Amino acid sequence: MKNIHPFSAVCTGLIVISSVFASSAFGQTNAKLSDAEVASVAVVANQIDISYAEIAKQKSKDPDVVQFAETMINDHNAVIAQAVALVKKLGVTPADNAVSQRLLKDAEQTKKALRAKSGIAFNKAYVDNEVAYHKAVIDAVEGLLIPESENQELKALLQNVVPALKAHLGHAEMLQKNLNK
Amino acid sequence: MKVPWKNPYIGICLLQTIFVVSGCRSAPGQPGSVGHATHPTAMPAADTVEIKQMTFIPQEIAVNKGGKVVFINRDMVTHDITEMNKTWHSSALKVGESWVFIAEKTVGYFCSIHPVMKGRIVVR
Repeated sequence: MKNIHPFSAVCTGLIVISSVFASSAFGQTNAKLSDAEVASVAVVANQIDISYAEIAKQKSKDPDVVQFAETMINDHNAVIAQAVALVKKLGVTPADNAVSQRLLKDAEQTKKALRAKSGIAFNKAYVDNEVAYHKAVIDAVEGLLIPESENQELKALLQNVVPALKAHLGHAEMLQKNLNK
Repeated sequence: MKVPWKNPYIGICLLQTIFVVSGCRSAPGQPGSVGHATHPTAMPAADTVEIKQMTFIPQEIAVNKGGKVVFINRDMVTHDITEMNKTWHSSALKVGESWVFIAEKTVGYFCSIHPVMKGRIVVR
């Protein structure tokens, strides 16, 4: 990026740190995740992106950013609904665990950073975070949650979610490119 | 809220399933409305584009002039079909819903909700 504003650099740094923490949180546990824990992590990861999008809907005046945020809310709620329906069918109760807790804790830091910004700085910070977050979630789903899933239906659901995550990432990268022009 | 662009092509509403012989026909020039299809159990008819895993399948489809293309949303999220220059678009298609487009010329389209999703209809 050319002409990096110092404040943007700090924001980007915070977001990178958050994404590193997010990645670490996904890979933090050496213990095998049960299906109940996998389900919890999957739901929490979706809920976190919804919470970021809700902040964006409140703060952004950019119609493309607001539309992206609405898509995140709708799509991640659809994924949560599928996950909830499946765990209900399987008789599994999502189990809180260290990975879910770490994700939520890191998300609170990110949300605090986002709320502190406004205008173009907010738009850039939100979209930059969406790019980093979706990359981390894709890596976690493909590298941790899918391999850890024992139930084939849960595994299939997670596999079916990956294309949506990659489409979200592509969309965020398009926005990022436009905002950095 | 999006501005509803005028649709220069005839959009046909499917009320029940992918069986395109029934349904309601919109007047020319008016936006096509959404057919509330149940999850179809029959094999897809010819000139059908499935929307699945964030992809239009097939990504490019060839039809005769005036031919119908049935878009079926078999994904887990809502999509739409929007002409590349936004001269026409479908309504938002929820999971299981269908929309029929009559192709008069070769066009590129995308999903305005997920703009990385692109497709093309080629008129022979």
